[in-house]
Amino acid sequence: MNTRMDAILKKLPSFVDQIKSIKEVIISNIVLIGQTPAPTFHEEARTEIFLERLSDAQADYCSTDDYNNPIGIILGKSGGAKPPIFVVAHMDTFFNADLGHNYVIRKNSITGPGILDNSLGIGVLASMPIILRKLKLAFESDIVLAGVTQSIGTGNLQGIRRLLNTWDDPIRGAVIIEGADLGRLSYYSEGIIRGEITCNVSVPEDGEHRYKHNAILILNEVIDEILAMELPQRPRARVIIGKFNGGFKHGVIALNARLGFEIQSNSDNMVKRMYHEMMDIVEGIGHEHRVDLKLNIISNLYPATLKYKHPLVKSTVAIMKRLGLKPASHSSESELSVFLTQNIPAVTLGITDGKNVHVEQATMKIDPMFTGIAQIIGTIMAIDSGVCDEK
Amino acid sequence: MKSNWLNTNTFHHSEFKEIELLVKKKEKKNLTISLCLPTLNEEKTIAKEIIIMKSELMTRFPLIDEIVVVDSGSSDNTLDIAQSYGAEIYEASNILPHLKESTGKGENLWKALYITKGDIIIYLDADIKNIHHRFAYALLGPLLLNDKIKYTKAFYDRPISTDQQKIRATGGGRVTELIIRPLFSLFFPELTQIIQPLSGEYAGFRDLFEKIPFPIGYGVETSMILDIYEKWGIDVMAQVDLDRRVHRNQDTKALGRMSFVILKTFLNRIEGLEKIKLNTDLFNEMIQYKQTSGEYQADIYKIKGHERPPMITVPEYCEKFNRHL
Repeated sequence: MNTRMDAILKKLPSFVDQIKSIKEVIISNIVLIGQTPAPTFHEEARTEIFLERLSDAQADYCSTDDYNNPIGIILGKSGGAKPPIFVVAHMDTFFNADLGHNYVIRKNSITGPGILDNSLGIGVLASMPIILRKLKLAFESDIVLAGVTQSIGTGNLQGIRRLLNTWDDPIRGAVIIEGADLGRLSYYSEGIIRGEITCNVSVPEDGEHRYKHNAILILNEVIDEILAMELPQRPRARVIIGKFNGGFKHGVIALNARLGFEIQSNSDNMVKRMYHEMMDIVEGIGHEHRVDLKLNIISNLYPATLKYKHPLVKSTVAIMKRLGLKPASHSSESELSVFLTQNIPAVTLGITDGKNVHVEQATMKIDPMFTGIAQIIGTIMAIDSGVCDEK
Repeated sequence: MKSNWLNTNTFHHSEFKEIELLVKKKEKKNLTISLCLPTLNEEKTIAKEIIIMKSELMTRFPLIDEIVVVDSGSSDNTLDIAQSYGAEIYEASNILPHLKESTGKGENLWKALYITKGDIIIYLDADIKNIHHRFAYALLGPLLLNDKIKYTKAFYDRPISTDQQKIRATGGGRVTELIIRPLFSLFFPELTQIIQPLSGEYAGFRDLFEKIPFPIGYGVETSMILDIYEKWGIDVMAQVDLDRRVHRNQDTKALGRMSFVILKTFLNRIEGLEKIKLNTDLFNEMIQYKQTSGEYQADIYKIKGHERPPMITVPEYCEKFNRHL
């Protein structure tokens, strides 16, 4: 570690209490933004309030790009001589707008839909200008605070893809922030193909047969064949069966069914090979039963990674350890992969601990959040000190 | 009814969103402002109200000078949570403890006059699920920007939240439409212009609150409007549209008990104003029925119509605030 990094590590522990001293401001941002529903493709209302809060926090520049990604910029001291550092959180959630999004705050917790994925991340992002002023920090690089839309599910990371595709200038490095879990350190993404297999059994014009095909049973055959696929130990590869629905009611044969899956591997060739194998399975079973059986791709990502020895990863590990955190590395198929595939050094960090991440009663702990924010600030400082500039 | 009050004294919260302007007015007029949250078992909502008000209207804009919680004896963690987020907390029974003990929302509001410091006091119910700082700054707007207005009251859409967290878009305000508005129409048609006379969010000058009596229970909102109307007229009042308020829904029996108290308060007030003559004493028991094992049983609630006198008649208050009757 160089001396600049040593200086950052020395300062870090004192940040936690200073950040905690403005906890009302940070929690208000988390709650006021998080209580505004933002299902994927319908993030407008949350975008508006996010920009309002960012503007109130006196970011130097607040606007949306042409894809409606809300962006704030804190201008750096170098006047543009150093490329910008991106801090990114996704705006959208899994929950519909008609669901009550009113959060419950207790002494050390906040509970409500989407709090950990990703109201907490967005609230912290909107608080960043205030937090940096509180810590009396200024950077050489501009800090680009980007809330990105259309991230999850069928959104297929369109917000970040579009933002980076239209950002012509170099980017120094990026920190992607997610609500959970504190200690998470993601610096690699697996290749994925996320898709759906749908089965529709047509009703003959001369009326229903008593023993017609059952769409659920046909998809069951598909699952059996997927499970029988031979997968290698290296490169790592797997198929996740994540969603299933179908049918109408208990006593009626199901005429349609839908299966959601994801192929994951650290080898792009392996992802493609498995995809073609699954296509063969679907076409074969569809042909055999004469039913409408289709495989549709929802999204895909190329595998990308930083090495563990990359200075950004090593610095982040040092920052986390200095704050008493035990880094746990996970693959992240999120905004991280888009940065990494464009050769921009980036890591994903979690802010706090919690439970029930993807259900309505998701709960985050408040106290660990201040350490989580301190690690984000430390990582931005590390990038600004030049750890990503080394080739 | 000839009054044009509805048009001239009805505002929307968006008219007051320039909080900096409100702060300047407050400072120019050399005023202090207190926010009072009356509580009884509000551990699910109290923290959010305190955090948002403190963050937005104390830390970021110095509009409010203090946040005070006055509690009726919560058995949950309301007070502990409120204190942990920096509110001043009081148990109502410990304020002016030599007075005969009473329990109720009105009691908390009345005693808040003694322990708060502000020239203006904002009262907000502590069970608001979608709390936003507009609930406070929008009620302050007319008081700070218009010298004639001394009392502001909130109105809003009242969606009801169900157990499943789904929001039903309309509803609420049943006691207003079934009890209050008919009574106002009969005796004070001008007051029907107040869209939600029972809303639990209002603000006003201490000079005004200290001169009116406070029923200790649910009747406090009704009596407050009648007393202000009789003493100073409708033009000192204003109402502010806060858009939407999500709150805990009450069952019909609870609303029945609320209606009982409001009716009793109202009848006593209009008799005092010699608008009617009651030839009998009113009973203090609300009798409702429940069916248990095929038999009907009476649920009897004793509800006393006790009320506190104007605070300015309390010697300790006059001494503390240097007031004279």
